[in-house]
Amino acid sequence: MANQYVEMGLSAPVNVTWEVTYACNLACIHCLSDAGRRRAGELTTTQCLRVIDSLSDLNVFQFNIGGGEPFMRPDFLDLMAYAHEKGMVTCISTNGTLVDEEIARRLDNELVYIQVSLDGATPASNDPIRGHGSFNKAVKALAYLRKRDIDVSINTVLTRLSFPELDKLVDLASDFGAKLRVSRFRPSGRGVRSWSQLNLSRDQMLDFSLWLSEHLSVSTGDSFFSVSTEDRRSLGLNMCGACKMTCCISPDGDVYPCAFLQDAEFLAGKLPREEFSDIWHDSPVFASFRELEIKSCESCHRFDLCHGGCPAIAYHTQRKLGLPDPECLVNCVTVKPLRSKAV
Amino acid sequence: MALRKTYILADGVQVRRETFGLLFYNYRGPRLYFLPSKDLFDSEFFDGHQSAADLIGTICTRHDWPRNWIEDRVEQVLTLLESKGLIHGQSIC
Repeated sequence: MANQYVEMGLSAPVNVTWEVTYACNLACIHCLSDAGRRRAGELTTTQCLRVIDSLSDLNVFQFNIGGGEPFMRPDFLDLMAYAHEKGMVTCISTNGTLVDEEIARRLDNELVYIQVSLDGATPASNDPIRGHGSFNKAVKALAYLRKRDIDVSINTVLTRLSFPELDKLVDLASDFGAKLRVSRFRPSGRGVRSWSQLNLSRDQMLDFSLWLSEHLSVSTGDSFFSVSTEDRRSLGLNMCGACKMTCCISPDGDVYPCAFLQDAEFLAGKLPREEFSDIWHDSPVFASFRELEIKSCESCHRFDLCHGGCPAIAYHTQRKLGLPDPECLVNCVTVKPLRSKAV
Repeated sequence: MALRKTYILADGVQVRRETFGLLFYNYRGPRLYFLPSKDLFDSEFFDGHQSAADLIGTICTRHDWPRNWIEDRVEQVLTLLESKGLIHGQSIC
């Protein structure tokens, strides 16, 4: 990762997380967005097209699409087709329950990646987290996407419940020619209520760190660098990219540093009332975030690997920015010094 | 590098200009490549309309650097980008 070039300031994000709706047909117990019903003020089709135009004009390379469940939007496939016409890559996170053969056909475009969410490798382990019947529907979606040779991965939020399932999820993904991607559980949305119950213990976090170092083909996308070992250094995930390489647009057009920092104090601007480029370049919220330094971590021997970890986790657990990620490997190791070969 | 070649982006690759030079994005991965080329290249060069020789000529008009140095640097960069699978050279008929 060429951090030095990122620190110089990019002309635009590399990718933008876009939560296109709050509507969702599931009610996962860890949902970061507290999704469920569509909410008033969500961007209209015309407004969404303007969002795509403005980001395309800035040469933003990729949308990471989430929600809610994106396919709950009746215009969703049209919006994706428009983004693809502009050459933009779309990585769509879906629960898979609405993906049928026809939708798979319409998604059959080399600019599409799909992440199908599963939190267990069987209905018994998945459905208590994501809802009754969700496993079988998600697996059907994987089959439809596989049939079209669409680039797909299984996305799992790491919790106490999903952690024991990881090996089986790797195998399940492999059955569909896919990879496993593990996302970090954060105490936002419904995750606030389930945090103490579902978040990994320190022992488990250490075990997960070891597991990750033994499974380099598993991707982590977002901010597990606080527990990543040297083995994963070449994968390049070693810093928070919020406001530097990425940011987040909410279903109602609000722009935030990332999907996990959507409190009012992090509101950087609103689309389409404001120009995205003005928000990216001039927002005081983004400017202060770019200057964020986790001073107390700078003397740590792991600083080059994590740069203080995920600011969102630090904020949600300690209600303050600029503090270290509390799930840092050093913290875990301090408690259980002999558990990890990684130290 | 052949001076009479033009260069186009490989399939799945996009590029944009940044203050440090060029930022390449390859959706087939690895995703990003940061090229610290300052203002040596415009991203439009990779549209394939301008030959390497034309590019060198343009750079020579912008800077008073030795032509040999510019040629070496351009060759070095184009060879590197080709080896990474980010661009393809094509001969001008």
